Amino acid sequence: MIVFDRVSFSYGIQHVLRDVSFSIPFNQRVAILGGSGDGKTTLLKLILGLLRPDSGRIIIGGENITDKKEDELRKIRTMFSIVFQEGALFDSLNVKENVAFGLREYTKMTEVEIDRKVRELLGKVGLEHAMELMPEELSGGMHRRVAIMRSLAAFDPRMFLYDEATTGLDPVNADIICGLILDLAKGEKGFIIVTHKVFDALRLAKRFMFLKNGLIMLDGNKEQLMQSSLPEIHVFLTELNPPLPASS
Amino acid sequence: MQRETIQIKKLVSDLQDFYLLSLQGLVGLVRRPLYSKDIIEQMDYAGAGSFFIILLISLFIGMALSLQLSAELSSMGFKMYIGKIVGVSIVREIGPVMTALVFAGRVGSGMASELGSMILGHQVDTLRVFGVDPIRKLVTPRIIGSLVMLPALTIIGDTVSILGGYYIAVFVSHQSAAVYWSSIQGVLNFENVLSGFIKPFIFGYLTACISCYMGLSTRGGAIGLRRATTRAVVASFVMIIVADFILTRGLFYILGFSL
Repeated sequence: MIVFDRVSFSYGIQHVLRDVSFSIPFNQRVAILGGSGDGKTTLLKLILGLLRPDSGRIIIGGENITDKKEDELRKIRTMFSIVFQEGALFDSLNVKENVAFGLREYTKMTEVEIDRKVRELLGKVGLEHAMELMPEELSGGMHRRVAIMRSLAAFDPRMFLYDEATTGLDPVNADIICGLILDLAKGEKGFIIVTHKVFDALRLAKRFMFLKNGLIMLDGNKEQLMQSSLPEIHVFLTELNPPLPASS
Repeated sequence: MQRETIQIKKLVSDLQDFYLLSLQGLVGLVRRPLYSKDIIEQMDYAGAGSFFIILLISLFIGMALSLQLSAELSSMGFKMYIGKIVGVSIVREIGPVMTALVFAGRVGSGMASELGSMILGHQVDTLRVFGVDPIRKLVTPRIIGSLVMLPALTIIGDTVSILGGYYIAVFVSHQSAAVYWSSIQGVLNFENVLSGFIKPFIFGYLTACISCYMGLSTRGGAIGLRRATTRAVVASFVMIIVADFILTRGLFYILGFSL
Protein backbone atom coordinates (compact mmCIF):
# COMPACT_ATOMS: atom_id res chain seq x y z
CA MET A 1 0.00 0.00 0.00
CA ILE A 2 1.18 3.52 -0.84
CA VAL A 3 0.08 6.13 1.69
CA PHE A 4 0.50 9.89 1.34
CA ASP A 5 -0.31 11.67 4.58
CA ARG A 6 -0.66 15.46 4.20
CA VAL A 7 2.29 15.66 1.81
CA SER A 8 3.45 19.05 0.56
CA PHE A 9 6.23 19.68 -1.91
CA SER A 10 7.62 22.76 -3.62
CA TYR A 11 10.39 23.70 -6.00
CA GLY A 12 11.68 26.90 -4.40
CA ILE A 13 8.72 29.26 -4.22
CA GLN A 14 6.59 27.18 -6.58
CA HIS A 15 4.21 24.96 -4.61
CA VAL A 16 3.60 21.72 -6.47
CA LEU A 17 1.68 19.62 -3.91
CA ARG A 18 -0.28 21.01 -0.96
CA ASP A 19 -1.30 18.73 1.92
CA VAL A 20 -2.06 15.84 -0.39
CA SER A 21 -3.42 12.67 1.24
CA PHE A 22 -4.44 9.37 -0.37
CA SER A 23 -3.73 5.67 -0.23
CA ILE A 24 -3.29 3.24 -3.14
CA PRO A 25 -3.09 -0.55 -2.73
CA PHE A 26 -0.29 -2.18 -4.75
CA ASN A 27 -2.77 -4.11 -6.89
CA GLN A 28 -4.88 -1.14 -7.95
CA ARG A 29 -4.95 0.39 -11.44
CA VAL A 30 -4.76 4.14 -11.03
CA ALA A 31 -4.55 6.99 -13.50
CA ILE A 32 -3.39 10.36 -12.27
CA LEU A 33 -4.59 13.07 -14.59
CA GLY A 34 -3.60 16.68 -14.74
CA GLY A 35 -1.99 19.34 -16.87
CA SER A 36 1.70 20.01 -17.38
CA GLY A 37 3.37 21.27 -14.23
CA ASP A 38 0.57 20.10 -11.95
CA GLY A 39 2.83 17.72 -10.04
CA LYS A 40 2.08 14.36 -11.64
CA THR A 41 5.72 13.33 -12.23
CA THR A 42 6.68 14.83 -8.85
CA LEU A 43 4.19 12.50 -7.23
CA LEU A 44 5.82 9.43 -8.80
CA LYS A 45 9.26 10.65 -7.75
CA LEU A 46 8.02 11.10 -4.18
CA ILE A 47 6.74 7.50 -4.17
CA LEU A 48 10.23 6.29 -5.12
CA GLY A 49 12.01 8.58 -2.68
CA LEU A 50 13.73 10.42 -5.52
CA LEU A 51 12.39 13.62 -3.97
CA ARG A 52 11.76 14.42 -0.31
CA PRO A 53 8.53 16.12 0.74
CA ASP A 54 8.66 19.49 2.50
CA SER A 55 6.16 18.15 5.03
CA GLY A 56 3.93 15.14 5.62
CA ARG A 57 4.66 11.41 5.53
CA ILE A 58 4.98 8.89 2.73
CA ILE A 59 4.49 5.27 3.73
CA ILE A 60 5.31 2.46 1.30
CA GLY A 61 4.48 -1.12 2.24
CA GLY A 62 4.15 -0.08 5.89
CA GLU A 63 7.53 1.70 5.99
CA ASN A 64 7.80 5.43 6.42
CA ILE A 65 10.25 6.45 3.70
CA THR A 66 10.11 10.19 4.32
CA ASP A 67 13.49 10.46 6.03
CA LYS A 68 15.17 7.33 4.74
CA LYS A 69 18.69 7.57 3.35
CA GLU A 70 19.53 6.71 -0.27
CA ASP A 71 20.93 3.27 0.67
CA GLU A 72 17.81 2.43 2.68
CA LEU A 73 15.54 3.40 -0.21
CA ARG A 74 17.13 0.79 -2.49
CA LYS A 75 14.89 -1.97 -1.13
CA ILE A 76 11.76 0.18 -1.41
CA ARG A 77 12.54 1.03 -5.04
CA THR A 78 12.75 -2.65 -6.00
CA MET A 79 9.01 -2.90 -5.23
CA PHE A 80 8.34 -0.73 -8.26
CA SER A 81 9.07 -0.69 -11.91
CA ILE A 82 9.12 2.81 -13.33
CA VAL A 83 9.11 3.99 -16.90
CA PHE A 84 9.92 7.66 -17.13
CA GLN A 85 8.68 10.05 -19.75
CA GLU A 86 10.08 9.18 -23.19
CA GLY A 87 11.71 6.07 -21.76
CA ALA A 88 14.87 7.63 -20.29
CA LEU A 89 17.13 5.10 -21.96
CA PHE A 90 20.85 5.68 -21.41
CA ASP A 91 22.12 7.46 -24.55
CA SER A 92 25.56 5.93 -24.38
CA LEU A 93 24.35 2.31 -24.22
CA ASN A 94 22.72 0.23 -26.93
CA VAL A 95 19.36 -1.50 -26.42
CA LYS A 96 20.93 -4.70 -25.10
CA GLU A 97 23.13 -2.85 -22.60
CA ASN A 98 20.18 -0.72 -21.49
CA VAL A 99 18.07 -3.78 -20.70
CA ALA A 100 21.06 -5.55 -19.13
CA PHE A 101 21.88 -2.55 -16.92
CA GLY A 102 19.81 -3.64 -13.93
CA LEU A 103 20.93 -7.24 -14.31
CA ARG A 104 24.58 -6.21 -14.10
CA GLU A 105 23.95 -3.98 -11.08
CA TYR A 106 21.63 -6.27 -9.14
CA THR A 107 22.43 -9.86 -10.08
CA LYS A 108 25.47 -12.07 -10.44
CA MET A 109 24.37 -13.51 -13.76
CA THR A 110 27.01 -14.53 -16.27
CA GLU A 111 27.24 -12.85 -19.67
CA VAL A 112 25.56 -15.85 -21.30
CA GLU A 113 22.66 -15.71 -18.82
CA ILE A 114 22.34 -11.94 -19.27
CA ASP A 115 22.30 -12.33 -23.02
CA ARG A 116 19.60 -15.01 -22.79
CA LYS A 117 17.46 -12.94 -20.41
CA VAL A 118 17.75 -9.79 -22.54
CA ARG A 119 16.76 -11.72 -25.68
CA GLU A 120 13.79 -13.22 -23.85
CA LEU A 121 12.57 -9.82 -22.61
CA LEU A 122 13.03 -8.05 -25.93
CA GLY A 123 11.40 -11.00 -27.70
CA LYS A 124 8.25 -10.40 -25.65
CA VAL A 125 7.87 -6.96 -27.20
CA GLY A 126 9.06 -7.91 -30.66
CA LEU A 127 12.38 -6.09 -30.40
CA GLU A 128 14.89 -8.92 -30.42
CA HIS A 129 16.23 -7.63 -33.74
CA ALA A 130 16.93 -4.18 -32.21
CA MET A 131 19.44 -5.36 -29.60
CA GLU A 132 22.43 -3.62 -31.12
CA LEU A 133 20.65 -0.35 -31.97
CA MET A 134 21.41 2.84 -30.07
CA PRO A 135 18.50 4.74 -28.42
CA GLU A 136 18.61 7.52 -31.03
CA GLU A 137 17.91 4.92 -33.73
CA LEU A 138 14.64 3.82 -32.09
CA SER A 139 11.16 5.15 -32.72
CA GLY A 140 9.11 6.56 -29.82
CA GLY A 141 7.14 3.33 -29.41
CA MET A 142 10.27 1.16 -29.47
CA HIS A 143 11.83 3.48 -26.89
CA ARG A 144 8.96 2.92 -24.45
CA ARG A 145 8.91 -0.86 -25.02
CA VAL A 146 12.65 -1.12 -24.34
CA ALA A 147 12.24 1.07 -21.24
CA ILE A 148 9.43 -1.13 -19.92
CA MET A 149 11.50 -4.28 -20.43
CA ARG A 150 14.54 -2.66 -18.82
CA SER A 151 12.51 -1.80 -15.75
CA LEU A 152 11.40 -5.44 -15.51
CA ALA A 153 14.75 -7.10 -16.11
CA ALA A 154 16.25 -7.05 -12.64
CA PHE A 155 13.26 -6.86 -10.30
CA ASP A 156 9.94 -8.56 -9.88
CA PRO A 157 7.99 -5.40 -9.04
CA ARG A 158 4.79 -5.28 -7.04
CA MET A 159 3.58 -2.25 -8.91
CA PHE A 160 4.32 -0.42 -12.16
CA LEU A 161 4.71 3.33 -12.41
CA TYR A 162 4.33 4.95 -15.82
CA ASP A 163 5.13 8.57 -16.48
CA GLU A 164 3.30 9.74 -19.61
CA ALA A 165 3.78 6.31 -21.17
CA THR A 166 1.80 7.07 -24.31
CA THR A 167 2.46 10.78 -24.71
CA GLY A 168 3.91 11.71 -28.06
CA LEU A 169 3.09 8.36 -29.65
CA ASP A 170 0.91 7.80 -32.68
CA PRO A 171 -2.38 5.91 -32.01
CA VAL A 172 -0.96 2.57 -33.20
CA ASN A 173 2.08 2.73 -30.93
CA ALA A 174 0.00 4.12 -28.06
CA ASP A 175 -2.30 1.10 -28.48
CA ILE A 176 0.68 -1.30 -28.37
CA ILE A 177 1.96 0.33 -25.16
CA CYS A 178 -1.51 0.26 -23.56
CA GLY A 179 -1.77 -3.45 -24.42
CA LEU A 180 1.62 -4.07 -22.87
CA ILE A 181 0.66 -2.18 -19.71
CA LEU A 182 -2.50 -4.28 -19.35
CA ASP A 183 -0.59 -7.51 -20.02
CA LEU A 184 1.96 -6.73 -17.33
CA ALA A 185 -0.78 -5.88 -14.84
CA LYS A 186 -2.38 -9.30 -15.11
CA GLY A 187 -2.62 -11.06 -11.78
CA GLU A 188 -2.13 -9.11 -8.60
CA LYS A 189 0.04 -6.33 -9.99
CA GLY A 190 -1.29 -2.83 -10.19
CA PHE A 191 0.00 0.34 -11.76
CA ILE A 192 -0.10 4.07 -11.53
CA ILE A 193 -0.04 5.89 -14.82
CA VAL A 194 0.31 9.64 -14.88
CA THR A 195 -0.96 11.12 -18.08
CA HIS A 196 -2.88 13.94 -19.63
CA LYS A 197 -4.38 11.60 -22.26
CA VAL A 198 -7.85 10.84 -20.94
CA PHE A 199 -8.59 8.30 -23.64
CA ASP A 200 -5.67 6.07 -22.59
CA ALA A 201 -6.41 6.61 -18.90
CA LEU A 202 -10.01 5.42 -19.34
CA ARG A 203 -8.87 2.35 -21.22
CA LEU A 204 -6.29 1.38 -18.60
CA ALA A 205 -7.38 2.45 -15.13
CA LYS A 206 -10.18 1.81 -12.69
CA ARG A 207 -9.45 4.65 -10.31
CA PHE A 208 -8.85 8.23 -11.37
CA MET A 209 -7.21 11.09 -9.54
CA PHE A 210 -7.19 14.60 -10.94
CA LEU A 211 -4.44 16.99 -9.87
CA LYS A 212 -4.76 20.73 -10.16
CA ASN A 213 -2.82 23.51 -8.40
CA GLY A 214 -1.21 21.02 -6.07
CA LEU A 215 -4.50 19.56 -4.88
CA ILE A 216 -6.39 16.38 -5.68
CA MET A 217 -9.58 17.77 -7.14
CA LEU A 218 -11.14 14.36 -7.80
CA ASP A 219 -10.46 10.82 -6.61
CA GLY A 220 -12.97 8.27 -7.89
CA ASN A 221 -14.00 5.74 -10.50
CA LYS A 222 -14.82 6.19 -14.17
CA GLU A 223 -18.42 7.29 -13.53
CA GLN A 224 -17.37 9.88 -10.99
CA LEU A 225 -14.79 11.23 -13.44
CA MET A 226 -17.25 11.42 -16.33
CA GLN A 227 -19.95 13.06 -14.20
CA SER A 228 -17.67 15.53 -12.48
CA SER A 229 -18.86 19.12 -12.60
CA LEU A 230 -15.34 20.55 -12.34
CA PRO A 231 -14.65 22.79 -15.35
CA GLU A 232 -10.96 21.67 -15.44
CA ILE A 233 -12.05 18.06 -15.85
CA HIS A 234 -14.54 19.06 -18.53
CA VAL A 235 -11.70 20.59 -20.51
CA PHE A 236 -9.83 17.28 -20.26
CA LEU A 237 -12.86 15.25 -21.25
CA THR A 238 -13.30 17.21 -24.49
CA GLU A 239 -10.44 15.03 -25.74
CA LEU A 240 -12.99 12.22 -25.94
CA ASN A 241 -15.53 14.22 -27.95
CA PRO A 242 -13.65 17.12 -29.53
CA PRO A 243 -15.93 19.91 -30.82
CA LEU A 244 -16.50 19.73 -34.56
CA PRO A 245 -14.93 22.52 -36.59
CA ALA A 246 -17.47 25.15 -37.59
CA SER A 247 -18.73 24.63 -41.17
CA SER A 248 -18.06 27.46 -43.56
CA MET B 1 11.05 39.57 1.88
CA GLN B 2 9.99 35.93 1.65
CA ARG B 3 11.48 35.70 -1.85
CA GLU B 4 14.85 37.07 -0.62
CA THR B 5 14.88 34.63 2.30
CA ILE B 6 14.24 31.72 -0.06
CA GLN B 7 16.99 32.92 -2.40
CA ILE B 8 19.50 33.15 0.45
CA LYS B 9 18.48 29.69 1.65
CA LYS B 10 18.90 28.38 -1.90
CA LEU B 11 22.37 29.92 -2.21
CA VAL B 12 23.49 28.34 1.07
CA SER B 13 21.95 25.02 0.07
CA ASP B 14 23.65 25.21 -3.39
CA LEU B 15 27.03 25.84 -1.78
CA GLN B 16 26.48 22.96 0.60
CA ASP B 17 25.48 20.68 -2.30
CA PHE B 18 28.56 21.71 -4.29
CA TYR B 19 30.80 21.04 -1.32
CA LEU B 20 29.21 17.61 -0.79
CA LEU B 21 29.46 16.68 -4.47
CA SER B 22 33.15 17.68 -4.58
CA LEU B 23 33.88 15.70 -1.44
CA GLN B 24 31.87 12.60 -2.42
CA GLY B 25 33.42 12.68 -5.89
CA LEU B 26 36.86 12.65 -4.29
CA VAL B 27 35.93 9.90 -1.82
CA GLY B 28 34.75 7.87 -4.83
CA LEU B 29 38.39 7.70 -5.99
CA VAL B 30 39.25 5.28 -3.19
CA ARG B 31 35.95 3.40 -2.79
CA ARG B 32 34.30 0.67 -4.78
CA PRO B 33 32.64 0.40 -7.19
CA LEU B 34 35.03 2.12 -9.62
CA TYR B 35 33.42 2.30 -13.04
CA SER B 36 36.53 1.58 -15.10
CA LYS B 37 34.76 1.70 -18.47
CA ASP B 38 33.38 5.16 -17.68
CA ILE B 39 36.80 6.32 -16.44
CA ILE B 40 38.50 5.26 -19.68
CA GLU B 41 35.73 6.87 -21.71
CA GLN B 42 36.16 10.15 -19.81
CA MET B 43 39.94 10.07 -20.15
CA ASP B 44 39.57 9.57 -23.87
CA TYR B 45 37.06 12.41 -24.17
CA ALA B 46 39.05 14.81 -21.98
CA GLY B 47 42.55 13.89 -23.14
CA ALA B 48 42.55 12.55 -26.68
CA GLY B 49 39.67 14.83 -27.63
CA SER B 50 41.48 17.96 -26.44
CA PHE B 51 44.93 17.02 -27.74
CA PHE B 52 44.97 18.89 -31.06
CA ILE B 53 43.30 22.05 -29.82
CA ILE B 54 45.83 22.28 -26.95
CA LEU B 55 48.66 21.62 -29.40
CA LEU B 56 47.51 24.39 -31.71
CA ILE B 57 46.84 26.99 -29.05
CA SER B 58 50.07 26.26 -27.17
CA LEU B 59 52.14 26.54 -30.32
CA PHE B 60 50.75 29.97 -31.19
CA ILE B 61 50.97 31.24 -27.61
CA GLY B 62 54.64 30.23 -27.46
CA MET B 63 55.33 31.91 -30.78
CA ALA B 64 53.43 35.10 -29.90
CA LEU B 65 55.18 35.36 -26.53
CA SER B 66 58.58 34.87 -28.11
CA LEU B 67 57.78 37.44 -30.79
CA GLN B 68 56.72 40.05 -28.25
CA LEU B 69 59.82 39.45 -26.15
CA SER B 70 62.08 39.58 -29.21
CA ALA B 71 60.73 42.97 -30.17
CA GLU B 72 61.19 44.42 -26.69
CA LEU B 73 64.44 42.75 -25.64
CA SER B 74 66.29 43.21 -28.97
CA SER B 75 66.16 46.97 -28.67
CA MET B 76 67.68 46.76 -25.19
CA GLY B 77 70.29 44.17 -26.16
CA PHE B 78 68.83 41.47 -23.89
CA LYS B 79 67.87 39.00 -26.62
CA MET B 80 69.68 36.20 -24.80
CA TYR B 81 66.95 36.29 -22.12
CA ILE B 82 64.12 35.32 -24.50
CA GLY B 83 64.46 31.61 -23.69
CA LYS B 84 64.56 32.21 -19.96
CA ILE B 85 61.48 34.43 -19.90
CA VAL B 86 59.55 32.17 -22.29
CA GLY B 87 60.48 29.15 -20.16
CA VAL B 88 59.53 30.66 -16.81
CA SER B 89 56.28 32.21 -17.98
CA ILE B 90 55.14 29.15 -19.90
CA VAL B 91 56.05 26.53 -17.30
CA ARG B 92 54.96 28.43 -14.21
CA GLU B 93 52.00 30.45 -15.40
CA ILE B 94 50.78 30.67 -18.97
CA GLY B 95 50.95 26.96 -19.77
CA PRO B 96 48.89 25.64 -16.83
CA VAL B 97 46.37 28.50 -16.95
CA MET B 98 45.82 28.53 -20.72
CA THR B 99 45.55 24.76 -20.91
CA ALA B 100 43.08 24.76 -18.02
CA LEU B 101 40.97 27.50 -19.64
CA VAL B 102 40.82 25.64 -22.95
CA PHE B 103 40.06 22.43 -21.05
CA ALA B 104 37.23 24.12 -19.12
CA GLY B 105 35.81 25.59 -22.33
CA ARG B 106 35.83 22.32 -24.19
CA VAL B 107 35.59 19.52 -21.62
CA GLY B 108 33.81 21.38 -18.81
CA SER B 109 31.03 22.59 -21.09
CA GLY B 110 30.68 19.07 -22.48
CA MET B 111 30.39 17.60 -18.98
CA ALA B 112 27.75 20.13 -17.93
CA SER B 113 25.64 19.71 -21.05
CA GLU B 114 25.87 15.91 -21.01
CA LEU B 115 24.87 15.62 -17.35
CA GLY B 116 22.24 18.32 -17.82
CA SER B 117 20.58 16.43 -20.63
CA MET B 118 20.74 13.25 -18.52
CA ILE B 119 18.89 15.12 -15.75
CA LEU B 120 16.25 16.45 -18.13
CA GLY B 121 15.81 13.03 -19.73
CA HIS B 122 15.37 11.39 -16.29
CA GLN B 123 18.44 9.21 -16.88
CA VAL B 124 19.94 10.23 -13.53
CA ASP B 125 16.68 9.32 -11.78
CA THR B 126 16.78 5.97 -13.57
CA LEU B 127 20.29 5.37 -12.22
CA ARG B 128 19.04 6.06 -8.71
CA VAL B 129 16.08 3.72 -9.19
CA PHE B 130 18.57 1.02 -10.14
CA GLY B 131 20.45 1.74 -6.90
CA VAL B 132 23.43 3.34 -8.65
CA ASP B 133 24.98 6.36 -6.96
CA PRO B 134 25.12 9.09 -9.65
CA ILE B 135 28.17 10.65 -7.97
CA ARG B 136 30.17 7.41 -8.24
CA LYS B 137 28.95 6.63 -11.73
CA LEU B 138 29.01 10.09 -13.27
CA VAL B 139 31.12 12.48 -11.20
CA THR B 140 34.07 10.36 -10.01
CA PRO B 141 35.02 9.15 -13.53
CA ARG B 142 34.98 12.76 -14.72
CA ILE B 143 37.16 13.88 -11.82
CA ILE B 144 39.64 11.07 -12.53
CA GLY B 145 39.62 11.89 -16.25
CA SER B 146 40.42 15.54 -15.48
CA LEU B 147 43.03 14.77 -12.80
CA VAL B 148 44.94 12.52 -15.17
CA MET B 149 44.50 14.30 -18.49
CA LEU B 150 44.85 17.99 -17.60
CA PRO B 151 48.40 17.62 -16.17
CA ALA B 152 49.33 15.47 -19.18
CA LEU B 153 47.92 18.05 -21.59
CA THR B 154 49.72 20.82 -19.70
CA ILE B 155 53.09 19.07 -20.08
CA ILE B 156 52.46 18.59 -23.80
CA GLY B 157 51.25 22.19 -24.15
CA ASP B 158 54.28 23.58 -22.31
CA THR B 159 56.64 21.60 -24.53
CA VAL B 160 54.94 22.79 -27.71
CA SER B 161 54.90 26.41 -26.49
CA ILE B 162 58.62 26.29 -25.78
CA LEU B 163 59.22 24.83 -29.25
CA GLY B 164 57.09 27.61 -30.75
CA GLY B 165 59.15 30.15 -28.83
CA TYR B 166 62.31 28.47 -30.11
CA TYR B 167 61.15 28.77 -33.73
CA ILE B 168 60.58 32.53 -33.41
CA ALA B 169 63.71 33.17 -31.35
CA VAL B 170 66.01 31.27 -33.70
CA PHE B 171 64.47 31.68 -37.16
CA VAL B 172 62.82 35.09 -36.89
CA SER B 173 64.82 36.88 -34.22
CA HIS B 174 68.06 35.16 -35.29
CA GLN B 175 69.17 34.22 -31.85
CA SER B 176 71.55 31.31 -31.32
CA ALA B 177 69.75 28.00 -30.72
CA ALA B 178 72.34 27.02 -28.11
CA VAL B 179 71.71 30.21 -26.12
CA TYR B 180 67.94 29.66 -26.24
CA TRP B 181 68.18 26.07 -25.01
CA SER B 182 70.75 26.77 -22.34
CA SER B 183 68.61 29.59 -20.90
CA ILE B 184 65.55 27.31 -21.01
CA GLN B 185 67.45 24.54 -19.21
CA GLY B 186 68.45 27.04 -16.57
CA VAL B 187 64.85 27.71 -15.59
CA LEU B 188 63.59 24.13 -15.78
CA ASN B 189 64.61 23.47 -12.18
CA PHE B 190 62.65 21.51 -9.58
CA GLU B 191 60.85 24.52 -8.09
CA ASN B 192 59.59 25.87 -11.42
CA VAL B 193 58.52 22.48 -12.75
CA LEU B 194 56.79 21.57 -9.48
CA SER B 195 55.05 24.95 -9.43
CA GLY B 196 53.70 24.37 -12.94
CA PHE B 197 52.81 20.75 -12.29
CA ILE B 198 50.72 21.19 -9.13
CA LYS B 199 48.35 23.71 -10.70
CA PRO B 200 46.79 21.46 -13.37
CA PHE B 201 45.67 18.96 -10.71
CA ILE B 202 43.82 21.67 -8.80
CA PHE B 203 42.42 23.24 -11.99
CA GLY B 204 41.29 19.84 -13.27
CA TYR B 205 39.55 19.00 -10.01
CA LEU B 206 37.83 22.39 -9.88
CA THR B 207 36.69 22.21 -13.51
CA ALA B 208 35.28 18.69 -13.12
CA CYS B 209 33.46 19.47 -9.87
CA ILE B 210 32.01 22.79 -11.07
CA SER B 211 30.92 21.36 -14.43
CA CYS B 212 29.37 18.24 -12.90
CA TYR B 213 27.58 20.27 -10.26
CA MET B 214 26.18 22.72 -12.82
CA GLY B 215 25.12 19.84 -15.07
CA LEU B 216 23.45 17.89 -12.29
CA SER B 217 21.57 20.96 -11.06
CA THR B 218 20.04 21.68 -14.48
CA ARG B 219 16.37 22.60 -14.38
CA GLY B 220 13.96 23.91 -16.97
CA GLY B 221 14.41 22.38 -20.42
CA ALA B 222 16.62 23.68 -23.21
CA ILE B 223 17.00 27.13 -21.65
CA GLY B 224 18.01 25.55 -18.35
CA LEU B 225 20.57 23.45 -20.17
CA ARG B 226 22.03 26.49 -21.91
CA ARG B 227 22.17 28.34 -18.60
CA ALA B 228 23.87 25.41 -16.84
CA THR B 229 26.49 25.05 -19.56
CA THR B 230 27.26 28.77 -19.60
CA ARG B 231 27.47 28.89 -15.84
CA ALA B 232 29.78 25.88 -15.78
CA VAL B 233 32.24 27.53 -18.18
CA VAL B 234 32.09 30.98 -16.58
CA ALA B 235 32.43 29.63 -13.02
CA SER B 236 35.30 27.35 -14.06
CA PHE B 237 37.13 30.25 -15.75
CA VAL B 238 36.73 32.49 -12.71
CA MET B 239 37.75 29.77 -10.27
CA ILE B 240 40.81 28.83 -12.35
CA ILE B 241 42.03 32.44 -12.39
CA VAL B 242 41.34 32.96 -8.69
CA ALA B 243 42.88 29.60 -7.73
CA ASP B 244 45.89 30.42 -9.89
CA PHE B 245 46.60 33.55 -7.91
CA ILE B 246 46.13 31.79 -4.56
CA LEU B 247 48.31 28.86 -5.65
CA THR B 248 51.00 31.15 -7.05
CA ARG B 249 51.12 33.08 -3.79
CA GLY B 250 51.19 29.86 -1.76
CA LEU B 251 53.83 28.22 -3.91
CA PHE B 252 56.00 31.34 -3.79
CA TYR B 253 55.91 31.04 -0.03
CA ILE B 254 56.45 27.27 0.12
CA LEU B 255 59.14 27.07 -2.56
CA GLY B 256 60.91 30.17 -1.32
CA PHE B 257 60.70 32.34 -4.43
CA SER B 258 61.89 35.82 -3.55
CA LEU B 259 59.84 38.82 -4.64
